[in-house]
Amino acid sequence: MADVTASPRSRAGQGLNLRLWLPLTWIVILICAAVFAPLVAPQDPLMQDLMMERLPPFFMDGSEPGFWLGTDSLGRDVLSRMIYGARIALFVSVIAATTTCLFGSALGLLAGYYGGWWDRVISRLVDIWMAFPPVLFAVLLVAVMGTGLTSVIAAIALIDWTRFARVIRAETMVQARMDYVDSARIGGARRLATLVTEILPNVLPTIIALLMLEMGIAIIVEAILSFVNLSISSDDPTWGSMIAEGRGAIHFAWWVLLFPLIALFFSVLSFSTLGEGLKKRFDPVLQ
Amino acid sequence: MSQQTQHRHALEIINLSIALPNGVRLLRDVSLKLEPGEVRALVGESGAGKSMIGKTVLGILPDTLKITQGEIILEGQHLNMMTPWTRRKTVAEITALIPQDPLTALNPLRKIGPQIVDPLIRIRGWEKDRARARALELLERVHIRAPERVMQSYPHELSGGMRQRILIAAAFAPSPRLIVADEPTTALDVTVQKEILKLIRELQKETGTAVLFVTHDMGVVAKISQQVTVLFAGKVMEDAPTREVFTNPAHPYTRALIAATPSSADLDRPFSPVPTELIAELHAQVARDDALWQGKKR
Amino acid sequence: MLLRTVLIRLLTTAITLFGVAVVVFTLVRVAPGNPIAMMLPPGATEQDIANLTALYGFDKSLPHQFVIWLSGVVQGDFGTSITLRRPVSELVLSRLPATLELSVMALFIAVALGGFVAVLGARRRNSATEVGLDLSSGAVLSIPDFLWGLIFVLLFGVLWPVLSISGRIDPRIEFDFTTNYYVLEGLLRGRFDVVGSTLGHMLMPAMSLALPLAAMIAQLLKQNLKEELLKDYTTLTRVRGFTETAVILREALRNAALPTLALVGVQFTFLIGGTVIVERLFAYEGLGNMAIDAVINRDLPLIQGIVMLFAALFIVINLAVDLSYTLLNPRLRHG
Repeated sequence: MADVTASPRSRAGQGLNLRLWLPLTWIVILICAAVFAPLVAPQDPLMQDLMMERLPPFFMDGSEPGFWLGTDSLGRDVLSRMIYGARIALFVSVIAATTTCLFGSALGLLAGYYGGWWDRVISRLVDIWMAFPPVLFAVLLVAVMGTGLTSVIAAIALIDWTRFARVIRAETMVQARMDYVDSARIGGARRLATLVTEILPNVLPTIIALLMLEMGIAIIVEAILSFVNLSISSDDPTWGSMIAEGRGAIHFAWWVLLFPLIALFFSVLSFSTLGEGLKKRFDPVLQ
Repeated sequence: MSQQTQHRHALEIINLSIALPNGVRLLRDVSLKLEPGEVRALVGESGAGKSMIGKTVLGILPDTLKITQGEIILEGQHLNMMTPWTRRKTVAEITALIPQDPLTALNPLRKIGPQIVDPLIRIRGWEKDRARARALELLERVHIRAPERVMQSYPHELSGGMRQRILIAAAFAPSPRLIVADEPTTALDVTVQKEILKLIRELQKETGTAVLFVTHDMGVVAKISQQVTVLFAGKVMEDAPTREVFTNPAHPYTRALIAATPSSADLDRPFSPVPTELIAELHAQVARDDALWQGKKR
Repeated sequence: MLLRTVLIRLLTTAITLFGVAVVVFTLVRVAPGNPIAMMLPPGATEQDIANLTALYGFDKSLPHQFVIWLSGVVQGDFGTSITLRRPVSELVLSRLPATLELSVMALFIAVALGGFVAVLGARRRNSATEVGLDLSSGAVLSIPDFLWGLIFVLLFGVLWPVLSISGRIDPRIEFDFTTNYYVLEGLLRGRFDVVGSTLGHMLMPAMSLALPLAAMIAQLLKQNLKEELLKDYTTLTRVRGFTETAVILREALRNAALPTLALVGVQFTFLIGGTVIVERLFAYEGLGNMAIDAVINRDLPLIQGIVMLFAALFIVINLAVDLSYTLLNPRLRHG
């Protein structure tokens, strides 16, 4: 009788672990690739060689050793560009997501805790922001601010703060109504102090889960902006610019599209799986 | 085979046991009979398994529970031997349900009329006019004023008592020969309870429908039933005519249940809950039986 | 009562739309760099700059410029495109049908697919099928439309080239369109080759847009269905002899669909927002593709017009969803 009840539980436990370890493994690989790019990349990612253009990947006829995943239309090594691309992807994802998170969460906390005019103004801003198509908004912002990584990061923060503000505002309102907040206030704590010491720790898990999700989103946005050629210069190796190049050469060199797409796919899936996992873990209702 | 049986019961349950997937038994060897036109009360505290019996008969037991043994015979037909399709048809043909909670038992997005009339047309195959006339007749019978208008209303526009009366009308509308009433008065307040109970009894007498009445309230048992089955921890403690149970209860648990029921006739009588020692002793007894049963199985 | 709710909703909508106008206007005006210089190709003369400055009213104060622009917008005058030298309203309206047809098709696919998976999951609840459906919809949900588009480009562009991966219609088809609603017009005029070709070109971008929404509908609707299937009214229907599938489709579905509807509205606006990049990916001649061209060419009047149109579309959809939610729910309808 005991083994009947035990088996589904252990299976669920295993599933949970895989959902944690697979994404973590991928992210560690990504970080290693980014940090040690000059050591692990077999070729110079910028080196063009028109004699070596559109070489297929290693498992196909006509491939060259040293160019494991083939080359693009300018003879640049796909694998090396992907490895260096991980640098930009991770950099943007960490910096942009953190900026967005700080900015959006702060507004959400203020709106949810202080209410009144804070809430009215911030909620109205969120409404206005939600009326913009996000991709078009991002493209427009980068066009206005000029291309470059700083603009990409600023654009992501300026668009996606609503994602944090909405959720954190709602969460803060729930927390602020709880008894422990009242007792802290009655105990003589100042309002701002209560917000930081009592409410913030309770909404922090949600913030961290959202931060994970946002990292995946930031990688996608950067790729989209590179794809429409508005991120950094198209010579620099980014997954988005590789994808754009691959889309153009789809009928001649599909591998230029496939491999960065796989990298993008797993990165987004990893971050969102981690984020969703954290969200479920911290959500008292789902436990 | 059924032609050989001279006397056909409305419902017969033989040695029914139900268990969780991990083998823990919730119903233990329950047997009972219900004659045509008879009202049998199934009484016990929460968790005694009384609702489960009604659900098993109707074929709406949750997927997680399994029937481990036993037979359910509806008007001489063995439900266990049927395909799901015939079983569903047979059950729908013979039985109806009066549910516990009138607030969730009507679809909030559909008008009252179709909710009574549709099953008559689609399942019984009646003409539209006939089904409508029958619905109106029963709504009037359960003292709904302006039944035409009520048929056009949505559930949220009606009170809980009115909804329960509508559900009674809907249950009697297809002229079933067996009705399972699953604590139909529990969710209602006391004044409405009396009225609903009276309605069920009246309609039952007029139509001669057999009723399996599930309740935890000995006071209700006294008012409505001719036969009582007392359950504890999924086991039958006592099975006897109602009058006999009240005048001369055979089982100590039945005595305790009766003592625990506040009586409206005798308000001065002290209220005494079922003693914990008795419950502990009964649980121990059930555990011993289970161990015996497990041993026999091996 | 209902009228009052509607009026309040309309008022807040107007405020939001005004806010959008302010943001769009400031964004392109306050940004670093001279907007006129941004508009002109390199090598423009002083005279060109002065002319254009006067033409667009940039010599006036910012609030004054805003009033001029806004009063034009209210009258349907969004100015003239700098690169295409035609009225913005005309350009935008000529591309809107392509984007609308694409969005509606995507919504249709999302609702049909998501609804089917939700009903199937609810029908087979607590089984391995449900677990499988949950896992796959979870994975599908976390992959955004851009990636789905790329996956489809690879699948159908390289592996199995049965569908075209760029354009809106086969250029070899000769057909004189009077509107830009290709599918509608093809249907009305009985030209099924036109309809077929347009739908074939729309299928992949529409699928890319639809999949994440379909997964979301599948999850949410299934959850709502499971809750409804525990309520007594579904039990009663079961006892009356209806099959489990009939119980789901006839009784539970509409109750479960109502809370799902509220979410689908917001998500539909996200879907429309996604057309911008998906149209680009499939070289589909819609509004979004035009918008990115406008941004790359620094065509400010055109950008403003397109963004305003998108915003208006989003707001109208949200309003429509809110109102239909009220109308479909008898408890709110009479309240």
